[in-house]
Amino acid sequence: MGVSVDYVAKETATNLWRNRMMALAAILTVAVSLSLVGTALLLRQAVNRQISAWGHNVNVQIFMNADATTSQVANVRSMIKQTPQITNFTYLGHKASYAQAKKILAGDPAAIGVLTAQTTPTVFRVQLKDPAEAATVVSTFNSGVPGVYQATSPSQSIHVMQEVTNVLQIILLVIAIVLLVSSLVLILNAIRMAIFARRREVGVMKLVGATNWFIRVPFMLEGLVQGLLGAIVAVVIVLLSNIGVNYLINKYHVSLLGSTVLPTHDLLMTELLVVAVGVVVGVAGSSVAVRRFLDV
Amino acid sequence: MIRFDNVTKSYKGAMPALRDISLEMLKGEFVFLVGSSGSGKTTFLKLLLREELPDQGRIWVAGRDIGQLSQWRVPYLRRNLGCVFQDFRLLPNKTVAENVAFALEVIGRPRGQIKTQVTQVLELVGLGQKHERMPDELSGGEQQRVAIARAFVNRPLVLLADEPTGNLDPATSQGIMKLLDRINRTGTTVVMATHDVGIVDTMRRRVVELDRGHLVRDQARGVYGYAADLNSSSRGVPAVSVAAGRSAYDDDGAGEPITNRVAAVRARRGQR
Repeated sequence: MGVSVDYVAKETATNLWRNRMMALAAILTVAVSLSLVGTALLLRQAVNRQISAWGHNVNVQIFMNADATTSQVANVRSMIKQTPQITNFTYLGHKASYAQAKKILAGDPAAIGVLTAQTTPTVFRVQLKDPAEAATVVSTFNSGVPGVYQATSPSQSIHVMQEVTNVLQIILLVIAIVLLVSSLVLILNAIRMAIFARRREVGVMKLVGATNWFIRVPFMLEGLVQGLLGAIVAVVIVLLSNIGVNYLINKYHVSLLGSTVLPTHDLLMTELLVVAVGVVVGVAGSSVAVRRFLDV
Repeated sequence: MIRFDNVTKSYKGAMPALRDISLEMLKGEFVFLVGSSGSGKTTFLKLLLREELPDQGRIWVAGRDIGQLSQWRVPYLRRNLGCVFQDFRLLPNKTVAENVAFALEVIGRPRGQIKTQVTQVLELVGLGQKHERMPDELSGGEQQRVAIARAFVNRPLVLLADEPTGNLDPATSQGIMKLLDRINRTGTTVVMATHDVGIVDTMRRRVVELDRGHLVRDQARGVYGYAADLNSSSRGVPAVSVAAGRSAYDDDGAGEPITNRVAAVRARRGQR
C-alpha cells in the first residue's frame, strides 16, 4: 500500500492548521497534565534519594539546654554509654555546634545574628544499632532528663516528609489523570471535528477505493502530533522546574537537600516517559474518534 | 462482468429492497436500470459497491464473489468500479484537475502517471481547457463531466451512474449520454440508474426494470415504460408485469430475446 509520506504529512498539517483552536486546546491540556505527571515523578525520585542519603546515618540528636551545666552534660554522656541500642556518639560543644548552625542557617542571616557560640545548644549525635530503635531512644531522653532540651530523630522528620510527599504525589497524580482524560476527550473531539470537516473528501476517497488505512492515518497522525506537541511543552516545563529547583538549592547551599538534585539519567527517563504518555494519549484519542466517527 | 445469483436484500423493518434478483451483465454492455423511486435501483448499486451485503444470494464482479471479500480488499474492488452521482460530489476547494487527480492520489499512484492520466481524461470529457477552474465556476453539465472524468480516470472495468442526468436539462443530458456512450465504447461496462424516459428511449440499450424489489423486465435495446415484449423477458419474470402487452415502441422488433442478445454481445466483443 503506497501511502505516500508527503501526502500524509501535507494532509496532517492542513488538518491541524484548519482546526488550530481545537488543536491548541488539546495540546495545552496535554502539556499541563503531563507537566504534573513529570513533576510528581521527579518529586518522588528526589524524596527517595534524599531519604536514602539521610538514612545512612540515621541517628538521634540530643540537644542540651544552652545553659546546661557540666555535670548535667556528664550525666547525659554516661546515660548514653549505658543505653544498649547506642553504638557510637559524638558530642558537639558550643563552638562546633555554632559552626554547624551557621552552615544550616546559611540562607537566614538574621537567625545567625541572634546566635552566639554561648547561646547555641550543644548536641550529642548518637548512632544506633538499628534505626528502628530511634523512637525508644528519643522517648528515654525526652522523659525529663535534667539539662536536656529535646531529643529528636530525623527518622521522624523523614517519616513526616514521606507522608507529605506521598499525599502531594497522589494529589498531583489524580489531577494529572483527570487532565489526561480530559485531554484525551479534547483530542477525540478535535479529530471528530476534523473528520466532519473532511467528510466530502472521505466520501470520495471511499468511493474511488482508497484503503481504510490511507483514510485513517492522517487523522490518527493528527492526534499523535497533538499529544506529542503537548508532551514536548511538558518536557520543557519539567526541565525548567528541575533547573529552577537545582538553582535554588545551589544558591542557598542547602547541603541538607543536596541529594534532591537528580542525575541526568533519572531526568531523562522521566522525560521519555512523559513523551510516551503524550503519544499514547494522542493516539488513543484519535483512534477512538476514527473508530467511532470515520465509517470506512 | 457482473452477476447476481438470487440476491435478496432487505433493510431493518422494511419491505425487501431487492427480492431474488438474478441477472448477468457482460463486459462492454450498456445497461439502464429503471424503476420508480424505491424500486431498489440504489440498493442494486450499493450492493455492487459492497456498501451493503446481500441477505441471500451471491454477487460476482469481475469473476469475484464480492460477498467473500475481506474488509480490507473492498477498496481494491472499488478501484474497478467508477461511480457518478446526480449531485456530482466534487470537492469545492479543489480545481477541476485536482479533483480528478485526487482519485489517483489516494490510491497511491505516482505523480508522473497522475499528471498524464488527468490530462488525458479531461481531454476525453471535453474539459481540456478548464483544468484550473473551480467546480463552482462550471455549469452543471461541466461539473458532471468532471465527476465522470474522476470516475473514469483510473480506467475502471465498470462505470456505475446513479441518475447522472437528474440535475441537468435535456440538452446537457444529451451531452453527458454521448460521453457515457463514448466511455462504453472503450469496453467499459456502464450501468446507469435513471428516470429519464427520453434518454432510455433514444439510446435503445439493454433495460433492466425493477419494481418494488422485483426484476420485472430485462430487455435488450429496450425502452423506458412498462412496455415489455412477452418474448423479450425470458428470465423468470413474474407474469403479471409482462402481461402489460406490447408497446408501440417495440414495433420495430428491437426487443429481441435476451439469449440472442447475449450472443450478439459476445460476437461483438469477438470482433474487437
